[in-house]
Amino acid sequence: MTTAAPAAVTAPVPDPPRSRTGRSGAWRESAAAWGLLSPNLLVFGVFLLLPLIATVWLSLYSSSGFGPREFVGADNYTELAGDSTFWRSALNTGVYALLTVPLSLVLGLGVALAINKPLRGRGFLRAVYYVPYVISGVVIAIAGRWIFNENVGVVNRLLRSVGMDGIAWQSDGTAAMVSLVLISVWTKVGFCMVVYLAGLQSIPAEYLEAAQMDGAGRWSRLWYVVVPLLKPTTVFLVVLGVIESFQVFDIVYVLTGGGPGNSTEMLVTYAYAEGFDARRQGYAATIGVVTYLVIAVLTALWWRRQKATEAEQ
Amino acid sequence: MPLRPRSPHGPAEGLSRRAFLAATGAGALALSGCGTGFGLRGSDGSASREGRLSFTLWAGEAELTAFQTIAEQWTATSGVPVVFNVVPFGEALTGIDANLASDRAPDLFRVTYQDIGIYAAGGALLDLTDRLPGGFLDGFGEAFVSAVRSEGRVFGVPHHTDTSLVLYDTEALQAAGARLPTSLDDAWTWEEFRSVAASLPTGESQYAFGVNWQLAGAYRWLNWVDQRGGRLLTDDLTAPAIDSRAARDALALTQSFFTEGLVPPTTSTKGSYVDELFTAGTIGMVFAGDFLLPTIDPEFTGSGRSYGATFLPRDETASADLGGNAVVATSQSVNAEAAADFLAFLSGDEAQALFCEQAVVLPTRTSLLGQTLDYAVRPDLMELFVEQATTITPGLSAQVTVPQFNAVNASLVDRLEQAFLGGDDPAQVLEDLAADVEGRLS
Repeated sequence: MTTAAPAAVTAPVPDPPRSRTGRSGAWRESAAAWGLLSPNLLVFGVFLLLPLIATVWLSLYSSSGFGPREFVGADNYTELAGDSTFWRSALNTGVYALLTVPLSLVLGLGVALAINKPLRGRGFLRAVYYVPYVISGVVIAIAGRWIFNENVGVVNRLLRSVGMDGIAWQSDGTAAMVSLVLISVWTKVGFCMVVYLAGLQSIPAEYLEAAQMDGAGRWSRLWYVVVPLLKPTTVFLVVLGVIESFQVFDIVYVLTGGGPGNSTEMLVTYAYAEGFDARRQGYAATIGVVTYLVIAVLTALWWRRQKATEAEQ
Repeated sequence: MPLRPRSPHGPAEGLSRRAFLAATGAGALALSGCGTGFGLRGSDGSASREGRLSFTLWAGEAELTAFQTIAEQWTATSGVPVVFNVVPFGEALTGIDANLASDRAPDLFRVTYQDIGIYAAGGALLDLTDRLPGGFLDGFGEAFVSAVRSEGRVFGVPHHTDTSLVLYDTEALQAAGARLPTSLDDAWTWEEFRSVAASLPTGESQYAFGVNWQLAGAYRWLNWVDQRGGRLLTDDLTAPAIDSRAARDALALTQSFFTEGLVPPTTSTKGSYVDELFTAGTIGMVFAGDFLLPTIDPEFTGSGRSYGATFLPRDETASADLGGNAVVATSQSVNAEAAADFLAFLSGDEAQALFCEQAVVLPTRTSLLGQTLDYAVRPDLMELFVEQATTITPGLSAQVTVPQFNAVNASLVDRLEQAFLGGDDPAQVLEDLAADVEGRLS
């Protein structure tokens, strides 16, 4: 998709005044800018930057969270490199992201396409799909526990009522991961739908009409016109989804507790277990720092991709 | 200078930019005021300050009533009020840790025996050795004194204990024709227990029994090791001793509960608690603590069913888990004398008897062990719990109260789950567990 470049400005631009009043004006503008930025910078500094620095600092110590702490240098990082549970958690987090992100996107786009037309009760349907995204993750996970409980859950009761075997949602690693993914997708579809709806509504109707005139069917219009035009939206959702996946905690903590074994242990749940159950806060901070670095790299990639997309346009 | 025409519609009509900024500024101030107020309230409720004792605890309704009654009695003589800060069990110690780290710790808090060690080692607790009345701790069972002592110093009072029995659905056990032991010496052996379990009906969503070794309760698995004569740690508590024949036997037995389908696969060490499965009829027997009777009893009686209890299985010896809680004072307390005095009062004969009767828990004072307390729920079964509590051994108590036990318990959760659900070889699991424990202790 290309857009017309703005016409060049040809009118002569006067030199900025160098008077005393001008310097004062510039200073005032600068002060106003800092004044407007300062609330955000203050919040960023106090709630993000300081904790980040403190976490890096804590990762160099052995600490229970209170009492004396011992400086251990890079020992926590060395231990982490050889910690099989950490690597398993990293793998699980990656698998979780790989499963939840594409599923959420495809389903979100499908729902958005279905709703992006005159339809009775459209607003209600939008709300129905979006509500799980705004409900607390703990509430969602508690509902998930009742749905997927191996002994008395809704799904297994339904399966048994039609003569099938129940699924080992809690005692089989694969089934436990599937239950997590299903619950997670349920919550994310609504958000993807809303973002895709915004994207769909920005696509000029003429493009689709032109494609139709050229003989393109519904699938061809979707695949060759709509999907390419939604690329910036998709890139945004993919990166946001991956970042969210690396931060997943509440659903896992309540639904599976990381089990069975370490089948559904994620980076953040493992950090919590080490920090608060085992009271190894230095080691937990180390896991946090590494997770932060992974997310930072993903964010940088997203940033570059976003720039590239903008340049293409 | 008019910047732009005012909107002719809506609530913003007549609201100038200046008025809007003033209103939002006032709103922000009000919000920050709320924040400050909240912070002050939080501090006021939990932090130590002169003229009163602050006590952070988790408590059910009956427990809180008992605590309050005892505190009122103490306040009547001391003149010092006790302010209770009740928090959910799952958040209690995390909150205490945060308060300790920010120098806002309460005077007193409730703590499990397994958690005392790390607080004592971190210098967070008030040393009560010279503050309690002379010979005060002689009135408690040896296992409980061992649990509140660290490196020869005393850091808390053993407020009460809990332990487990095997509760059973009377109808299910009668149908199976099982022998029901009536004394500790007569308790089921391991083999007999397995045979009774195997005779109970099992099938889709129906299992013989469940064991209460989930999460923080994973240490209860050590009962089986102790019964076989094994240990988690060496005698000097400095190294692992779990990679042993006795532990392998214990793990092979408990692993077979899962492989033979006797227990629900969802009740492994990372799984769900078992008492709800017992009341729902999913399992015919459950290993359960006395503190669960007030929950279990109404469920059974309400559905017209009956249940009983018998002793834990035994092998070479009988052994039971050290449950229950101590109460400790913090080193940040500005009321050290009053805190120590309250702790002595709280764990005296009269107060402890009152608490145990109302909260349906077991006493730690030897003078109360021989008495018949007037328990509010199933006093007949509480007598069995009291008898089982005599098999809580000082040796096992010392092992589960080392300062690093939180971390050791976390390893137990992981490794046992590998054996129970992963089907890993017990010898390999225990070798890995020993390596974990060595790392945790160091």
